[in-house]
Amino acid sequence: MKANLKRRSGGYFGIFILTLFVSAAIGTVLTVLNNSGNYIENEMRRAGFGELTAWVSGIDNLSELTDSIENLSEVKVVDVQSLVFSNYTIKEQESDSEGQLITYLPSENRYKFFSDDLSSYVNQPTEISSGEIFISPSIVSMFDVKIDDEIVFPIARAGKNFTFTVKGFYEDPFMGSSMIGMKGFLINESDRAEIVSVIQNSGIDALARDGAMLHIFSSEKLNTYKLNSIINENTKLAEYAEFVHSKNAIAGFMLILQNAFSGLLLAFAAVLLFVVAVVLSHNISSTIEADTVDMGILKTIGFTSYKLRKIQLLQYMIWIIPAMIFGTIISVPLSNIVSKATVTSTGILMPTKLPVAQILLSFVLILLLLAGFIILRTGMICRITPMKAIRNESTNLKFYPQKSLSAFGNGIHFRLAFRQLVTGKRRYVGALITAALLVFFASMTGRMSSWLGSDGKGMMDAFNPADHDIGVQVFGKLTDTETENLITDFSEITDTYLLAMPGVAVNGVDYTANVITEPERFHILEGSACNADNEVVLTEFVAANFGVGIGDTVIVTGGKGSGEYVVSGIYSCANDMGDNIGMSREGYLKIGNDDPHIWCKHYFLADTSQKAAITEALENAYGGDVHVHENTWPGLFGIISAMHMLMIVMYVLVIIFIMVVTVMTAAKILSAEQNDLGIYKAIGFRASSLRLTFSIRFGITALVGSFIGIVLSAIFTDPLVSSVMKFAGISNFSSAPTVGNILLPLGIVTVLSTCFAYLAAGKIKNLSLTVLISE
Amino acid sequence: MKNILLSGKNICKSFFQNGNETQVLNSVNADIYEGDFTVIMGASGAGKSTLLYALSGMDSITSGEIFFKGQELSKLPENKMSNYRASEFGFVFQQTHLVSNLTLFENVAVAGYVGSSKNVQTVREKAEKLLAQMHAENAKDRLPSQVSGGEAQRAAIARAMINDPALIFADEPTGALNRANSEEVLNLLTELNGNGQSILMVTHDVRAAIHGNRILYLEDGKILDELNLPLYEKSDIRAREEQVSRWLSELRW
Repeated sequence: MKANLKRRSGGYFGIFILTLFVSAAIGTVLTVLNNSGNYIENEMRRAGFGELTAWVSGIDNLSELTDSIENLSEVKVVDVQSLVFSNYTIKEQESDSEGQLITYLPSENRYKFFSDDLSSYVNQPTEISSGEIFISPSIVSMFDVKIDDEIVFPIARAGKNFTFTVKGFYEDPFMGSSMIGMKGFLINESDRAEIVSVIQNSGIDALARDGAMLHIFSSEKLNTYKLNSIINENTKLAEYAEFVHSKNAIAGFMLILQNAFSGLLLAFAAVLLFVVAVVLSHNISSTIEADTVDMGILKTIGFTSYKLRKIQLLQYMIWIIPAMIFGTIISVPLSNIVSKATVTSTGILMPTKLPVAQILLSFVLILLLLAGFIILRTGMICRITPMKAIRNESTNLKFYPQKSLSAFGNGIHFRLAFRQLVTGKRRYVGALITAALLVFFASMTGRMSSWLGSDGKGMMDAFNPADHDIGVQVFGKLTDTETENLITDFSEITDTYLLAMPGVAVNGVDYTANVITEPERFHILEGSACNADNEVVLTEFVAANFGVGIGDTVIVTGGKGSGEYVVSGIYSCANDMGDNIGMSREGYLKIGNDDPHIWCKHYFLADTSQKAAITEALENAYGGDVHVHENTWPGLFGIISAMHMLMIVMYVLVIIFIMVVTVMTAAKILSAEQNDLGIYKAIGFRASSLRLTFSIRFGITALVGSFIGIVLSAIFTDPLVSSVMKFAGISNFSSAPTVGNILLPLGIVTVLSTCFAYLAAGKIKNLSLTVLISE
Repeated sequence: MKNILLSGKNICKSFFQNGNETQVLNSVNADIYEGDFTVIMGASGAGKSTLLYALSGMDSITSGEIFFKGQELSKLPENKMSNYRASEFGFVFQQTHLVSNLTLFENVAVAGYVGSSKNVQTVREKAEKLLAQMHAENAKDRLPSQVSGGEAQRAAIARAMINDPALIFADEPTGALNRANSEEVLNLLTELNGNGQSILMVTHDVRAAIHGNRILYLEDGKILDELNLPLYEKSDIRAREEQVSRWLSELRW
């Protein structure tokens, strides 16, 4: 065994490296998954968030409302955090969602604060000075903000803006992720008082709104939908609530990024584990093939098959177990790197405590899987009989040359490579499967990336109920005609529709309603659009919550009253993690209040490249009287950059795996083909020619494997990713083939396999022709 | 006066294993002449094959010089040496050493392609002609594992001949064959020599050795003696056998 370990150290080392990467990847993903989930939950509890949180505004008597809620037997307590809703501008870029200026009270000890480089925590400040503001790190990825940059909040028309200087960063377990549009800003009490005074004195010219967060704690274990429904039925919360979210829904929002990317990485680690098993299989069979004579001799002196298999198992375990231990150890600094690298996307600095029990369990499972695999594959030792081995009997080559491409003719290097490949295909199965799996995964990730798009359009389309290029909402005396005149200076308007997003209650539970003038524009998945005034469309998630389907009815309540609506279809809109419904304008006006300012006009432009210029021109011309949004969202940049990071990590792993697998396979094939290579050299083939034919074989193998991977990806990407995306409320994931998701992985894997095989075949140069001497 | 085709001067070859040196060739001097069927004989372990592979450049030498048509081979880089193997030398091995996944025809034709001619049609015609000449045309589309040892060895000779080499090196070409196949292979080699082909063959079989016209006897890494014979004639077999056997017994074979 000692001699074998030394002699075959190259192969074992390859398995060591592959197992190390798999183990490190799994350890890191488990650490991230485990810590982020627990951490968010603990921090939300520590920061004082109840089962439900309602954002309210325009309320005259807040204590009356909180008392009425607290008086319900289902509610234990209501905790209030005062805030101001306001839009904001950073570096001349207007926010897409409103910010919330939250009053910082040091005595509450709600928040954790980061060091300026976001690498660690510091003590909470004793106070926030006037004019200073603390922000979430995710704003860095959204606006590239730095300490001492300024943030402008337009509180009222006529230039009544408040400008704050960024003093530092705080951890917001509730709105911190760049997946969440609304953002919290910490300011001091006197600044808040001044802002509220401006709001009160501005009357209808006020742009900001005074409000509060109500953290509602239930007194008993109650479904949050039920709790929400009870509160809406018995109090006036629905009249004042801008939106209501459950703790679980917010935690879901906060964890979307971690869960999505960890899920992807975990799936990738599983693919890599499969590759390790394939490589193991190839290594075992070629080792046994090469050692058949030795094993036959050992059997003649009394070694049993069981003993020989045990030796093989030990040989592999001696490399696999340390690889797993080192991989787990490496996952600690890796998790640290991930935690720090994602703080501007997730908004939190995840702890990196190893989930020992989970890692041990995965450790044992992987070990059992690999050990079982080794035991299974070494079964071929049982078929070795001493004399069969000593006579060096091997299975005859089952090949019919007449049915294959002639090895002689023009393009002889390719012809020879092809012949070597088809006659020794068993040896290349490992490389083929590896290429197929890696390309499948790379192509799948590429498809996700191209769906997302360089500007995040795919994600935006998933979050929007209907497509558009820009949306313009006018306030005050400004009219659509004026803004449209300006827009047409840049581009022809090809189409328009109106959309409003008021809050409604469906069967007593608060939801956002997407109200549209042209319901056929909704992204309908099943059934039909809600064209009639007694019809609604639901997302899959809302339909599942109520256990209703097409043709069933729901009660929708708005500011004016209630009505029964028929579910005409299921549509896709990931906003609020899919917690929304779609209605026609006519349908909504039966139960809801109309107000010109709730409507946002959505435009389709002939020249979409003018979107940014139009936005800038409208904002410069009309300031606070207009709110323009392109079909994008600053939080997307964090997601796009995280996606790019994931792609880079994945391709690095692909390169390493291709290298290790190719070099290992090449070494085994070179060793098995020494004689043939010697013959080729003896008849005058140059080492460079032999290296070329050798690498062409791997090129062909990788190309075929890659093609299989591309086909698999085309078949399985959409159903697989859709099933994962459902957790983020996205149910209409649909990818398309592009150069980046087909040719890139195929090209990288094929070219790398060919190049690594060429390098590995360098040994041919030193191959002595004495292998042919049989004296 | 014969022309020297290949010349070895003070060839030494040692093997090193576990720090111990084993000298197999000890300052061997040997000239191989154009048109000769030269045979190297000697007891097992005398260094016959080592000398053959050293002279052909298939194996490196520890010291000494090897000249082929006046060009020193021992210092040639691998690429240049492969040109000699492709166009000037032909090899026939004891174990045939045909590429296992190529048919007999492909084994011959591929070697032809690597050699002087890159014209596919020319090589194809020549390979088929040679296989017919070696009486292996019926097996040409089969793999080496699907034909008899004799057929494989005849194809190996055709492969050695495809590039019209100046010299064929044959290492115990009948060592793995039965008597009938051995005879056939030796007759083919003799026939080739009769047509002017230079051959250098290693054997320990007197029946094979008598096909040569010059026999070198190797013992303990040195050429001890040589025997020159007239060109082989079938009618002289018995007389040649007796002459060679007598010579060998004088050398305590």
